[in-house]
Amino acid sequence: MSYDYVIELRDLNRHYTMGEETVKALDGVNLEIKRGEYVSIVGPSGSGKTTLFNLIGGLDKPTGGSVFIDGVDIAQLDAYELAWLRCRKIGYIFQSFNLIQVLTALENVALPTVFAGVPREEGLRKAQHILESVGLGTRVHHRPSELSAGQQQRVAIARALANDPSIILADEPTGNLDLNTGMEIIDLLHGLNKTKGLTLVAATHDLKMIKASDRIVWMRDGQIERIERG
Amino acid sequence: MARESIGRVHFSLGDAARLGYDHIKRRWSRAAINIASIALGLSFYATLVLSDTFYGTYERLGGSQLSVESYQYWLVGVALVVSVVGITNAMLIAVYERYKEIGTMKCLGALDRHIILLFLVESSFQGLAGGLAGFLLGLAAAVASTGFTTGFDIALKVPPLQMLTLFTGSVALALTLSMTATLYPAWRASKLRPVEALRYEL
Repeated sequence: MSYDYVIELRDLNRHYTMGEETVKALDGVNLEIKRGEYVSIVGPSGSGKTTLFNLIGGLDKPTGGSVFIDGVDIAQLDAYELAWLRCRKIGYIFQSFNLIQVLTALENVALPTVFAGVPREEGLRKAQHILESVGLGTRVHHRPSELSAGQQQRVAIARALANDPSIILADEPTGNLDLNTGMEIIDLLHGLNKTKGLTLVAATHDLKMIKASDRIVWMRDGQIERIERG
Repeated sequence: MARESIGRVHFSLGDAARLGYDHIKRRWSRAAINIASIALGLSFYATLVLSDTFYGTYERLGGSQLSVESYQYWLVGVALVVSVVGITNAMLIAVYERYKEIGTMKCLGALDRHIILLFLVESSFQGLAGGLAGFLLGLAAAVASTGFTTGFDIALKVPPLQMLTLFTGSVALALTLSMTATLYPAWRASKLRPVEALRYEL
């Protein structure tokens, strides 16, 4: 059974207590994201973008409300099921790439397939194929320290695609890149969204990224201020 | 997606061994410190038990009665405890250095126990290497210190089975010490929440 909304947020709250004070990092957020949609989450720093990213990705638990991924309330999942969800359903892309430094590009991309239980040879073959598709076919045996920032982010994108997830979550993916490299990464992500029908949710400041998206969610003080069509 | 369609993640001992090997190879200096720490502690132990064995063999072959003083075993105990504490410390630092990496692995599907497995596998490699090196060092030291009375070929006169037992025992001891020292750091690493681990800047 397929659900119309791949991501659904219901009255989502995330509060932190700092001493006496309660900080409402996220305060009553409702949002539905359709399959294949490209949504940018925009707002000043401290507006709750990263908190939202963490909650959608199952990396943090909400104080109240629910996150549904493909119709499943992820608060109901145990640690094993949550790990599976992170492994198979969601691909993560970070501002600082977060590649494993001791592994080559190929091994980095193949790592999620290990957790998915794919046989090693098959995982490496797949990783090679994906790296070629992001334009890094000649760099597969380089380690992250031997790659430029833009190339590292391509490896990270390839890794996010390794288990054919339905959702790509990106947290400031162009934040550490120069203008041109950033543009190339945006084109790559946008292309994946259009050709593979991947749902792309990106927290970003980058105007070029925002312009390419189907919907723009403006956040302020932990709430959705407004939603625009791209 | 129905909840029933949710599967299980995997991370076998072989996967951990491969990844652990890559870590040791690429961060060799840290591993080398741990291996040296184990090797030194263990060589002290091996020197004593081997000297004792050599004296025993010498006596059985008609030589005079000699033995290792029992207080020396106390010193060995202290040396081994010191090496365990040193490894625990080094592994805790390794966990801090790898905060982000641990967070990333959790995003890719790693469970807490997979992280523990990875750290224990790495420490078992180091324990094995340290045990092997320590035994060889201890053997050299024991031959050098007993050789003048028992003859330098004494090691060859010890029954091979007895020698094998000593060797296996020493390596097993090194392995146990190294893994014991890593239990707490590995547990700490596994309990990291991905959000905290990813936010961490070294």
